[in-house]
Amino acid sequence: MTLLSVNGVTKRYGGLTAVDDVSFDIVAGELVGLIGPNGSGKTTLLNILSGLATADAGEILLADIPCQRLTPEQLAHRGVMRMFQLTRVFRRMNVIDNLLVAGRALGLDHGEALTRAHALISELRLDAVAALDAGQLSGGQMKLLEFGVCFMVPPRIALLDEPFAAVHPTMKEIMGAFIRARHAKGQTFILVSHDMPVVVELCPRAICMNAGAVVIDATTREVLNDARVIEAYLGGHAA
Amino acid sequence: MTQPATPAAGAQLTTTKTTVEFRAALVAMAIVALIPLGVGNPYWLGVLIVSMYFAILAGGWNLLAGYTGQFSLAPATFAMIGAYTTGLLGTYYNVPPLLGIVAAVVVSGLVGLLLGRAVLRLVGPYLALTTLSFAEIMRLVASNTIDITRGDLGLGVAGLPIGRLAWYYLFLAVLVVLLILFYLLLRSKAGLFLQAIRDDEVAARRAGVDVVFWKTAAFTLSAAASGLAGALYAHFAELVTPELGLIAQTGLILSMAVIGGMGTLAGPLVAAFLVYVLSEWLRDVGGYQLVVFAALVVIFARFFREGLWGLAKAAVRRWRQA
Repeated sequence: MTLLSVNGVTKRYGGLTAVDDVSFDIVAGELVGLIGPNGSGKTTLLNILSGLATADAGEILLADIPCQRLTPEQLAHRGVMRMFQLTRVFRRMNVIDNLLVAGRALGLDHGEALTRAHALISELRLDAVAALDAGQLSGGQMKLLEFGVCFMVPPRIALLDEPFAAVHPTMKEIMGAFIRARHAKGQTFILVSHDMPVVVELCPRAICMNAGAVVIDATTREVLNDARVIEAYLGGHAA
Repeated sequence: MTQPATPAAGAQLTTTKTTVEFRAALVAMAIVALIPLGVGNPYWLGVLIVSMYFAILAGGWNLLAGYTGQFSLAPATFAMIGAYTTGLLGTYYNVPPLLGIVAAVVVSGLVGLLLGRAVLRLVGPYLALTTLSFAEIMRLVASNTIDITRGDLGLGVAGLPIGRLAWYYLFLAVLVVLLILFYLLLRSKAGLFLQAIRDDEVAARRAGVDVVFWKTAAFTLSAAASGLAGALYAHFAELVTPELGLIAQTGLILSMAVIGGMGTLAGPLVAAFLVYVLSEWLRDVGGYQLVVFAALVVIFARFFREGLWGLAKAAVRRWRQA
């Protein structure tokens, strides 16, 4: 069953077309890698999908319901949860409160939210820093916390923007295990990453973008072996 | 990697922190309640009454700026709006003071709601400058509509048939009721949402927080509290002038919140008393109050971000460890 359908989405900033007539479908339970060189439009596309930017053209359907005009908070309530490339947490609130914000906002009562927060803190191995303000955490711990915020109430689709960037290998392993475990239970993801080994390991399917447009949408192996993808990354003709 | 401080079980939730601050504020208010037993001088009772007026304003502004991160420069303006609402209703329509005060809360809250909606997308200096412009416009309107407000001459307002001591306890009762209301608000999920908006509005929206609603609510409640303070003050002083909305008044409110500790329940309330009493004391040395408070604000903002409340917490921690 198609969960997310992106049809002809276009976004322009003045003379620059950041996202150019992008179309693809995501089936419920898929884990799709979204790759492409810097400036290819991946983050802009995630901004549109998460309500932080509005498409100039095209249509986005979430479970067959148009959602391209919804705000980020409305999308969060419909199960679209976004993790940012530059980590966004509530820096002057402690780890538990960070998680409680999402839990309470998405309809959990205090007891449920607290139970869920403690379970996530344990799973993400943040027990030792749970009392600290988020601003006191390391970069990797903040990323883990942001994972937790996104999964306080399991979303229908999680949009992860570069979660592995500049993260300690141990943290990366925790994140990888977290994604694998959720995916095994049927969670749907779009994962933006430049870390190709991770994309190969986690994502059966990948979409490559370049200059705002989709270059190829296929199995991850096919995508990484495609000459257009290599050309997009190297900026010249592939050997 | 950051070293662990305490295990998860020891983490103090926002609700717990708020409860600790609330209890401290109640203790402070209990001390304030006992002061008239030792201070009978009407002048100093008056100074303490005005301190409570400022404590309400600082508490209301703290809800907006300290908890929600919306740095408005109009708290004194809303007090002025509240004061003029009850003053004008009494003068032109013979509305009794109690109804006038209720109307003042409603009118200032509504104006706060409208201003909150108007500045919804503004942050930082743009928000501060817009609210400052609003404050100056409102003050100039009050000052120049002489036919209605009597301008800088001031508008006479009916007093209440009570003595200074009764006024003292009336202000204190209102302050305590507001303190309880703020506490109940902040220990609910609203407290989490307001602080989330303060820390990162985009992250709050991503987490599902209705940012428009909560920012507007913070503006409305803060303005209503200021309007209440202004209306009470008008009946206490039996006079309203545009000076109530002077930027210097806002400066005093800001310094109280910053010195006490923005984003804490007890700090701004306690600092309101310290700052205003100090202000009265400095009056004798020639109007240097704002210079002193500006210097204090710089020192606290630079070195003691949690204000007096933070210093008190650190002192208690050291005492427990000793």
